[in-house]
Amino acid sequence: MSGGWRLDAAVRDLLERALHVYRDDPRATDRLRHQLTRLDEPLRVAVVGGWRSGKSTLLNALMGEEVAPVDGSAFTWYEDGPQPDAVAYSTSHPPQRLTVLRSGTGMHVDLAGWRAGELRDIVVRWPTRSLRQVTLVDTPALGVDEHGRDPVLERVLRETDAMLYLTRDTHGGDLRGLESARESSVGQAAPVHAILVLSRVDETGGGRVDALLGARQLARRALREPHVDALCATVAPCSGLLGLAGRVLGESDFAALAALAQVPRAELEPYLLSAERFGRGQPPVPLDAATRSALLDRLGLVGVRLATTLVRTGCDSRAALSTELVRRSGLGELRESINRLFVDRREVLKARSALAAVETLLRAEPGPGTAELLGTLEQILAGAHEFQESRLLAALRDGRLGFEAESAEEARRLVGGDGDVLAARLGVAPDATAPWLWEAAADARWRWQERAEDPALRLAQRRGAQVVVRSCDGMLAELATHRSGSSSSLA
Amino acid sequence: MIAGIWLDALDDIARTCQEHGRGDLLQAVRLKRAHLLDPALTVLVVGEPNQGKSQLVNAIVNAPVCPVGDGRTTVLPTVLRHAEVATATVVQTPPPTPGAVAVAGALERTTVPTEQIAAGVAGTAGRRPGAGPAYVEIGLPRALLGAGVVLVDMPGSGELAATGATTPVAALTRADTVLLVSDSTRDLSVAELNLLLHLTRSHANVVVVQTKTDLVPDWRTVADRNRRHLADAGVPASLIPVSAALRLRAAATDDHALNAESGFPPLIARLRRDLTGKPDVLARAAVVLTARTVVEQLAAPLRAELESQRSAEESGPMTRLHAAQREADELRRCSIRWQNTLADEMADLLSDVEHDLRDRTRHILRMIDEAFETADPLVAWDTVQEWLERSLVEAAEANRRWLVERCDWVARRVADSFTRYGHGSLPPWPLVVPTETGEPLPEIERPSVDRFTVSQKVITGMKGSYGGLLMFGLALTLAGMPMINPISIGAGALFGGKSIHDEGKQLLRRRQATVKMAVQRHVDDFFVRVNKDSRDAARQAQRMLRDHFSALTEELQAGIVESLRNAKQAADTDAVARERRHREIRQRMTRLAALYEQAQQVAAAARPAPLAPRA
Repeated sequence: MSGGWRLDAAVRDLLERALHVYRDDPRATDRLRHQLTRLDEPLRVAVVGGWRSGKSTLLNALMGEEVAPVDGSAFTWYEDGPQPDAVAYSTSHPPQRLTVLRSGTGMHVDLAGWRAGELRDIVVRWPTRSLRQVTLVDTPALGVDEHGRDPVLERVLRETDAMLYLTRDTHGGDLRGLESARESSVGQAAPVHAILVLSRVDETGGGRVDALLGARQLARRALREPHVDALCATVAPCSGLLGLAGRVLGESDFAALAALAQVPRAELEPYLLSAERFGRGQPPVPLDAATRSALLDRLGLVGVRLATTLVRTGCDSRAALSTELVRRSGLGELRESINRLFVDRREVLKARSALAAVETLLRAEPGPGTAELLGTLEQILAGAHEFQESRLLAALRDGRLGFEAESAEEARRLVGGDGDVLAARLGVAPDATAPWLWEAAADARWRWQERAEDPALRLAQRRGAQVVVRSCDGMLAELATHRSGSSSSLA
Repeated sequence: MIAGIWLDALDDIARTCQEHGRGDLLQAVRLKRAHLLDPALTVLVVGEPNQGKSQLVNAIVNAPVCPVGDGRTTVLPTVLRHAEVATATVVQTPPPTPGAVAVAGALERTTVPTEQIAAGVAGTAGRRPGAGPAYVEIGLPRALLGAGVVLVDMPGSGELAATGATTPVAALTRADTVLLVSDSTRDLSVAELNLLLHLTRSHANVVVVQTKTDLVPDWRTVADRNRRHLADAGVPASLIPVSAALRLRAAATDDHALNAESGFPPLIARLRRDLTGKPDVLARAAVVLTARTVVEQLAAPLRAELESQRSAEESGPMTRLHAAQREADELRRCSIRWQNTLADEMADLLSDVEHDLRDRTRHILRMIDEAFETADPLVAWDTVQEWLERSLVEAAEANRRWLVERCDWVARRVADSFTRYGHGSLPPWPLVVPTETGEPLPEIERPSVDRFTVSQKVITGMKGSYGGLLMFGLALTLAGMPMINPISIGAGALFGGKSIHDEGKQLLRRRQATVKMAVQRHVDDFFVRVNKDSRDAARQAQRMLRDHFSALTEELQAGIVESLRNAKQAADTDAVARERRHREIRQRMTRLAALYEQAQQVAAAARPAPLAPRA
C-alpha cells in the first residue's frame, strides 16, 4: 500500500528540492515555504458556486450555525478558535479586528466602515467542533472576466485543498470553470478534490414535496455521465436551506409549524400555493405575519409545505422534525461524503495541492533544474496510488460500481476507507503479528486479482478490483521491507 | 392599405436580393413574406434548462401537454397548434435510405397516442433510428390557439444557436414572438442577457417571462433587478412575472382571482395583442429587422470588395509592371553573368585539357624510356611500337572524353544562370564535338638502327685478338719463348672476344638512344596534333554554347519585353475599370442605404400605433 506517509514524504522532498532550485528567488521561496507549512495545517475546503447558488446557506448548514455570509466580495475563512473573532485583511489597510455580534443561531460581523469590494480576506475564528480538522472558505460568486478567466476559481484552486462545487444543473455552462481547471498535470491526475453539489434542490421540479427524491435520482444520473465523472469525486444533492433549518430549528419554529399542521390540509393548501399567499394572506391559524415570514425565510415555501406534511405524518417533536429535515435535505450524506472523501484523505489532498502549486511555479518560472523537478513531479503523480484509492473510495460510496455490499465493504476497507494503518485496512486486530498480516494481505490480493480478471464483471468493476490489487501489493511490499528491516537489525 | 406599404418594402428588399444574386437571402425573404402574410402568431419559448418552459406552455394552454420533470424532459421541440381533437405527431426527416434519392424537405409524420406525448417529447417514442431533426406537433382545441397562436416549446439549452434559431438566415423565417423564460430564484444570468441581445437583433418582439413567482417571496425585487439588468444591457424587452403553478391551480378550481394572481392575464393579453397587431405593427418591425439583416448581408461583401480593392491597388497591374521591370533587369544581369561564366570556364577547360594530355604523354614517354633502358630495340621494337600506338590512342580518347564531360559541365554551369526561367535551357545534347581528328596520326616509322653484322664482328674480333697476341707474344719472347705460343694465342682470343663484346654494347646504346629520340619526336607530334584538335573542339563547343544561350537570352528578353508592355497597358486600363467598379459599389451601397431608410420609414409610420392603446 502506499500509505499517506509515502506520498507525503515525496511531496516534502520535492518542495525542499524546489526551495533549493529557487533559492535566489524570494517570491518563489515564500510560496514554497507557505506550501510546506500548509501541509501541517487543517484541510482547506472552499464552497464555490455561481451567483445565488446557495454557497453561504450550505456553509451555514455544514457548520450548523448562521455565520455566513460576511461579505459577498471577499474570501471568508472559517477557522477553529477558542472564542469568536474576525479579522479583516484588505489590499490597502493593515489587518484590522472586526466586531462580532452573537445572535441566537449564529453570529453577525459588523462591517461598518468598509466599502464593498475593499476587503480581500476575512478570517473568522469560531469555536465549533466541525472546524477542528477543516477550514471552510466562503467565496464570492464565480464569474468569468473579460479574458475568459475566473479569478475566484483560480484563487480557490491555488489556495485551498478541496472544494464543494455548487451547481443547479450538471449540463449547463456551470461546469465549464471546473473543466478549465483540468489543464495542468496535477489537475488531470485525479479529480479527487471536488464534490459536485446539486444545490437548492428543494426548488427542483417546481417545488414539489418529493423534489429531494428526484434530485437524488438526478445526481445518480449525472454521476454516470463521463464529463461529470471526470471532474469530481462524487455528486451530492443537497438543500442547504432545509439542512440549516433542520439544524437550527427552534421550539418556537416547531410550535408554529405544529399550529399550521393542525389546520386541515384542504383549508391550508390555498395559502401554501405561493410564498406571497402564505406571507400576506390570512391563514386560519393564530400566527402573525412576522412569524410566518420568519418561517418562510427559514424554510422556504417548499420547506414549509414539507415540514407541515412531516408534522402531520408523525414528526411530533422538534428533535424528530429537525432530524427528518436534515435527512431529507441530503445534508447528512454530504457531510458524510466530506468526512470520508476529504477529511479522512486530507493528507492526500494537501499533498495534491502542494504538487499543483509546485507545478504552477515550475511552469511559470522555468530555470536550470526545473525540467528535472517537473520530471520528478510527473513521476510522483504517476506513482501516486493514493489518488486512485480516493477515486475508488468515492465510487464505492455512491455505489456506482455495483459490487455487492460485502465486496464493496471489503474493497473500501482495503483501500483505506477505515483508516490507513495496515491492520485497519486488512480488518484484523491492531496487535496482529507480521505473518498474520502477510497472510491476510496475500489472501485479499488473490481474491481481488481473480475479480480483476473476471470477464463476467463490468469494466469499471474490474478497474476497481485492479486498484484494490495494487493496494494489496503495496501492503505486501511494506510488510516485506519491515521484515527485511527487522531481520537486518537483528543481524 | 397599410399592409401594402410594408409589403412593398419587403418586395423591394426581395428585388435587391435578386439584383445582388443572393438566392439564399431571396429565399429567406420570400419565406418571411409568406410568414408575415400568414395570420398565425408563432411564439418561441426558449431559455436555460429547468426554468419552467414546458410548465409555462402548459399553463398558457391550461393543459398538461408538455411533460415537466426534474431533469431534462424536453428533448425535441414541441409545436402546439389548434386542432378540433387532441392529437400528437412526431415529425422527422426520414433516415437516408440507400438507393433512394433524398428529397429535400421530405418529412415523415408519425402519429403518437396522446398518452405517449411525454415519451415523444423525450425523443423515445415515434422516433426512427437514424432519422434527421425532428419535432413533436401537438394539436389542442383551445381558443387562444384557435385564434392563431402557435406555441413552440424549445428544449432548454445553452446551445440555442445549434437549433438554428439564431443564425441570421433562419431567423428571418422564424418566430414572431420570443418568450425567454428565466425563473425567480435568481437574476438573469450573463448568458441569458447575451442570448437576449442576440435574439433582439433578429426578432422584433422579445419578452422575458419570469416564472416560479410562487416559490420566492421576494420575486418583486428580483423582477425589478431584472428590469434594471435589461435596461443596463440595452435589451428592448419587457418582463412579465408569472406563476405557472398558480395558473394551473386556478384552472383546476376555476378561481379567477387566483388566475389574476398568477400573472398570466397580462401575458395572454400580450400574446393576443401581438396576434392582432401582427399584420401591421409586428410586420413592420419584422420588415425593418429583415431589411437590416439583408442590408448587412449584402453590404458585407461589397464592403469587403472595396476593402480588397484598396489593397489590390498595391497588388494589381502596377505591381505586375514593376515585376516585369525587375525581370528585365534581372535578365540583363543574368546575361552578363552567363557570358562571364562561359568565358572563364572555357579558359579553365582549355588549360586543364592541355595539361591532362601533356600529363598522359609524359607518362607514356617515361614508360618507353624505362622499357628501352634494358630492352634491345632490335628485339622489342614491334611490341613496343604496338603498345605505344595503343597507349597514344587511349590517351587521346581519354582526353577527348574528359573534354566532352567538361564541356557538358560548363554548359550546365552556364545553364544554371537560367534556372529562374525554367528548365530545358540546356543546349541540344550530346554536344557535337568533332570526335575524330582531322587526319589520322602518322605511323611511327621504324628508326634506322645499326645492326652488328657478322663481318663487323670478325673484323672487330681480329682487331682485338691481334693486339692481344702481339702484346703477350712480345713479352714472352723476352722469356725466350717464340712469338706465337699458346699463351699469346689465348690472350689474343680473349682480347678479341672482349672487343666484340664492347663493340656490341656500344652499338646497343646507340640503337636505344636513336629509338628513344624517334619515339619522343613521334609523341611530340602526336601531342601537338591532338592538342590542336582539342582546342578546336573546345572552341567549337564554346561557340555553340554561346550561340545557344544568346538565342535563349534573346527569347527571354522578347518575352519579358512583351509582358512589360502588357503590364503597362493593363495598368493603364485597370485604373479605369477599378474606378468604374468603385463607383458601382458606391452606388449599390447608396441604394442599400436608401432601402434601409425606406424600411425605417415603414416602421416610423407604424410607431404611433402601439402607443395608442396604451395611452
